[in-house]
Amino acid sequence: MNDKVLLEVLNNHFTGIVEEMGYVIHRAGFTVFVKETWDFDSALVAPSGEIFCYPRNIGVTNMLGMHMGAAIAAVPDLAPGDVVVTNDPKTTAGMCTHLPDIMLFKPLFHEGKLLCFAWCFVHSSDVGGLVPGSIAPTAYDRFQEGFAIPPTRLYRRGVLNEELLRIILHNCRIPEQNWGDMKALLSALTVAERRITDLACRHGGETIAQAITGVMSYAETRACEILSKIPDGTYKFSDYIEIDYVTPYHVRINVALTAKAGAIHLDFTGTDPEVRAAMNLPTFGRPNQWIVLGIVNYLRTSDRTLPLNRGLLRSVTATIPEGTVLNPGPVAASGIRHVTGYRVADAVLGALCQAVPDAIPAAGAGQVAIVLFSYRDPSTGTYRVSVLQPMQGGSGARPIKDGIDGVNFSAGSLRNVPTESIENEAPVLVHQYCLADSAAAGKYRGGTGVVFEFECLAPEALVTARGMDRFRLRPYGREGGKAGTLGEVILAPAQEEARCTGKIDVLRLQPHDVVRITAPGGGGYGNPCARAPESVLRDVADGFVTEKEACETYRVAIVDGKLDAGATSALRATPATDDAAPFHFGPERAEYEATLPPALQDLISSLLAKRPGPVRQFARDRLYAVLDRDATLRTKSPSILAAEMSVLLDDLLAV
Amino acid sequence: MDTYRLGIDIGGTFTDFSLLEERTGTISVFKTPSDPAHPEVAVLSATQRILAERGLSPKQIRYFVHGTTLAVNTIIQRTGSSTALLVTKGFRDLLNIARHRIPDVFNFMAEIPAPLVPRSLVFEVPERSCADGRIISLPEEKDVTAIAARMMEAGVQSAAICFLHSYRNPAGEERAREYLARAAPGIYVCTSSDIWPQLREYERALAAVMNAYVGKAMRDYFERLDSGAKALGIEVPLLSTKSNGGVMPVLAASERPVETLMSGPAAGVIGAAQVGQAAGYSRLITFDMGGTSADVAVIDGAPQYSTEGHVGDFPVIMPAVDVTSIGAGGGSIAWTDPSGALKVGPESAGALPGPACYGLGGTHPTVTDAYVALGIIAPERLLGGSVHLDPARAEQALGELGSRLGLGMRQTAEAILEVATSQMYSALVPLLARKGVAYEDFTLLAFGGGGPCHAFLLAADVGICRVLVPLHPGILCAAGSLAADVRKDLVRSVHRIVAGDGAAAPILKELQAAFGELAAEGKAWLGSLGLGFAAERMECSADMRYVGQSFELTPALTEEDLADETGAHLRAAFLGVYERIYGHKDESAPIEVLDIRVAAVGVNPRPRLGEVLGVPARTAPASQQRTVFVAGREQLADVYQRVELAPGFSFTGPAIVEQYDTTVFVTPGFAVTVDASGNLIGEMLRDE
Repeated sequence: MNDKVLLEVLNNHFTGIVEEMGYVIHRAGFTVFVKETWDFDSALVAPSGEIFCYPRNIGVTNMLGMHMGAAIAAVPDLAPGDVVVTNDPKTTAGMCTHLPDIMLFKPLFHEGKLLCFAWCFVHSSDVGGLVPGSIAPTAYDRFQEGFAIPPTRLYRRGVLNEELLRIILHNCRIPEQNWGDMKALLSALTVAERRITDLACRHGGETIAQAITGVMSYAETRACEILSKIPDGTYKFSDYIEIDYVTPYHVRINVALTAKAGAIHLDFTGTDPEVRAAMNLPTFGRPNQWIVLGIVNYLRTSDRTLPLNRGLLRSVTATIPEGTVLNPGPVAASGIRHVTGYRVADAVLGALCQAVPDAIPAAGAGQVAIVLFSYRDPSTGTYRVSVLQPMQGGSGARPIKDGIDGVNFSAGSLRNVPTESIENEAPVLVHQYCLADSAAAGKYRGGTGVVFEFECLAPEALVTARGMDRFRLRPYGREGGKAGTLGEVILAPAQEEARCTGKIDVLRLQPHDVVRITAPGGGGYGNPCARAPESVLRDVADGFVTEKEACETYRVAIVDGKLDAGATSALRATPATDDAAPFHFGPERAEYEATLPPALQDLISSLLAKRPGPVRQFARDRLYAVLDRDATLRTKSPSILAAEMSVLLDDLLAV
Repeated sequence: MDTYRLGIDIGGTFTDFSLLEERTGTISVFKTPSDPAHPEVAVLSATQRILAERGLSPKQIRYFVHGTTLAVNTIIQRTGSSTALLVTKGFRDLLNIARHRIPDVFNFMAEIPAPLVPRSLVFEVPERSCADGRIISLPEEKDVTAIAARMMEAGVQSAAICFLHSYRNPAGEERAREYLARAAPGIYVCTSSDIWPQLREYERALAAVMNAYVGKAMRDYFERLDSGAKALGIEVPLLSTKSNGGVMPVLAASERPVETLMSGPAAGVIGAAQVGQAAGYSRLITFDMGGTSADVAVIDGAPQYSTEGHVGDFPVIMPAVDVTSIGAGGGSIAWTDPSGALKVGPESAGALPGPACYGLGGTHPTVTDAYVALGIIAPERLLGGSVHLDPARAEQALGELGSRLGLGMRQTAEAILEVATSQMYSALVPLLARKGVAYEDFTLLAFGGGGPCHAFLLAADVGICRVLVPLHPGILCAAGSLAADVRKDLVRSVHRIVAGDGAAAPILKELQAAFGELAAEGKAWLGSLGLGFAAERMECSADMRYVGQSFELTPALTEEDLADETGAHLRAAFLGVYERIYGHKDESAPIEVLDIRVAAVGVNPRPRLGEVLGVPARTAPASQQRTVFVAGREQLADVYQRVELAPGFSFTGPAIVEQYDTTVFVTPGFAVTVDASGNLIGEMLRDE
């Protein structure tokens, strides 16, 4: 066998091993969450800390960009039989990004020499903290979110560190389940060790070591081939997350993507400060898994046969200023950092698509809200909790086809819950679970949102839905495609007193209260007037587009369900107007940015950059409120405004 | 008068006939080209010809079974009837939303399969039942009549009805069917509660939709075939193979064609289980390598069933023998990616143009070309010499690939096998982990055209220590269907909690009654077929889980388990399986019974199978030798003819065994013994 063939053969073996690890975790895992949502993962990691093999078919599969270097360095003198445990963002430099992710890794040796590490994690259903499940959107520091373990030996040379284990289990609400899940992880590490040892015996340790570096160089080469096709240049984009739990002002994610001869640099300068809510994304300034998610998607879409390892990302670097929501201080809360991560992907792809317009969808719903229903068990009086539905929303339209209805790429690996199961388990009656009847227009239309409406049948029930977003600002459309649709929660939708609640923190319900939750729909792609008339006809038949919309938006004449080709040609003879815009964001963002223009946000951002991270959000909100109230301020020249704002800031932060 | 069993397997290209003489166990095999437009014509005329050629009377056929890919191809190729779906108001997007998952979440261009029923043909009916079966409102005739009018206007031919909670109370669906039959009498209608009354509205609706989608065509086809067979004078009812590995009369199948969708692969696994068990091995991994893929199934005592199978783009929750594809087949094409790495498949050269060595115009090197170039397959030996292979073409195709890899022709061929094998490893190892199979105790049973050629390579790579190659690897599908039992699965969703505190008695009584009803239904169905069975059997099982979990296990239940009113047996059955699969259990947590299942089995008399036909010619076969290229060098391999291998004979790899429909390649490191039935049993040699 020559080197290239051996590399392919060994890479297939590595892949078999990481996937076997995944199925072992799934099989042996204890908590329902592990089995149902696949929120766990496995990988083989090189001594450098880079993942050199990653599963394709099992697990959360979005951790490819993770880097274990800091965690390895934190535990010197690793020996055979050692197993390290950690869930701490700070001491792993953002390998862990929120506390529920309990990670284990084990060094694998052959003939006394370190070959690599086996790594895996599981999202624990509780690690202590403010609320059961440990994730509260309104948590504002890490200590409210549970315990944190810096990388520490759980096993030393095969012997369990019982004292450490006791401390861990003493600090969570579900000790047996957590230990059960950790045992599943340990089984996976054992499997990997046996397999790698077998390979090393068959091929020699040196060959395996060479293959580890070889597969990553190979991936690096393949990624470079794809990335070098991106025209050199700097491409800028910004998008927002909404934190109306704590402030009416949105959190801007700002990115400048620079492509140069196959290398990508992501500069997040201008991104808003860390927030007093659980949406911070700890990266410690490194391009971790969440930062590179959009790039990984782009690479994997470009070539379906790419080997999955971190070599793909060697040419991706990042500047992530300290004190921003993407590089918060070490004790910032980060329980629902996935919403932020999704928005980073939207922003990075928004920048990237300016360089490669034909390869990237418009923005999708970019959120997933897990709707939980708690009610008192009438026989015991205790609270029971059921997952009603994970609400995702539609994907953005693609440059060659429509978006996907109801599901988007951010969380598309989640499964929903059958209505019949819900009604067997919880005292609710589901009124409807269907697609929203409207979609963002475009040559290719956006994926529609999803509507879930239910009636509460129990007294004193509670509804939470962590992870909602895109309730105020729409997912962007591209190349003339319209912006997507917004998410919404309505109480008593059929009644006169119907009201929108905004994003759900906690909703209290009584019998016969009805709630309708709508998840956002993705943006459209391309000028609607270029949409094939047959596709418009199908959408009319399917009920996503009315005949009136067909005429006005798509300029397709459909009367009584029949396409009128002649009238359509006539309608389409007049050229379309504003629809060449590279992005449509919808009226809400325009309105927001009319009050707080991007340049003004830049200015405030640069003033804030010199202040400590944890006070910046407070200061920003106060300055924005001043600007909001006093429109004349916005007309002043930048230098004068900067000076005035600077004085205001000093006042605000003077103790 | 000798009696016979006749089996027919209609494939895309060929229709295979297998005729088994019940007294001797001899199987003869015939092939005839398929006629996709009129499949029954080819079947009937070939049957007539076989009877004539063998001088048999139609009355001598005592068992007549038939399998077809017609239904599954109708779904894959989307050529079924225009079908509508009636749903509960508020749930119009049952099929569009499905289970919400993007099949390939890292591909921005991922294609979501379009439902078999477009949104415009899904009709909402105002009606509603509760989870406990209580009716809130029944459908009204005027609503259904109005829908029927719209269906007819749209040219709909078939309709499925799926209302919420109909698995508990089918009244709403039945009423809607009645109204529909009145308003649109020509339309083929089926209800989800009739097809598969299990909780989970999407999957249940889908079962009904698939049934409706293929139903009209299958009913017509089965009826023509059945009356044709009767006209030939065959007295026994024509049977159809099923996804669950059993058979049922075609007239029953015509009402429920959805039960036949995965019957092809199932029959092979049933055949493999029979051969393996006859040889004394009850724990098997079957390995069937055909032209486009290699498929595996696990047999642990009995074939494992899956309720998570797929047909084309769609999940099927009705029990099917669990078969999974793990990689390349003989026709899979080897290629290099942009940076020069060698890959094999998934693209296949198929039967046409086929591998380069077929000389039918294929120029891409395939796995089969690699076998030929390495000396594993002799060019003149395929199908007893009736197909001649051209090694020069194989070598040319491999040489071109080799020049890109910087490898010689034979190194290239060996590299293809290495890569194909490692791909199978990367799929098989996680698959076995998923199923909780500790494969150290398992035997790899190879069949199909390519299975015996590749099984030893795969076993060595994965670490499976034993390989079994049956005497007739090419006809296990036929053998499986000729010896299958009549089998019908019944299900009922019950959703009852069985606590550990002895308070379960009323619930246990309810479950017993439900099992009793299902068993009675199964028994009545078996009786209605008018077939004489050697025995009848009710296999009971239940889908159970801990309360709060959302995945189920399905332990088999004995009569004792069912008779026990404390619930202790039921719990013990669940805990036993739970611990075996997950390695731990919770003795006290409450357990929930979701669905109860009964498989009604009508046992057919077992034919003799898999025994050596007479004594092989020589007990010490002449060993020829030929050069094969293995492990990077030329080696001399012993070459045997399968028909000459007598029980008790043994040899070690590298060796090649040639037979009519396949070639067995025994790699170095294995010792092979011929067992009493003529099977080859290969054992991995332990390192000293």
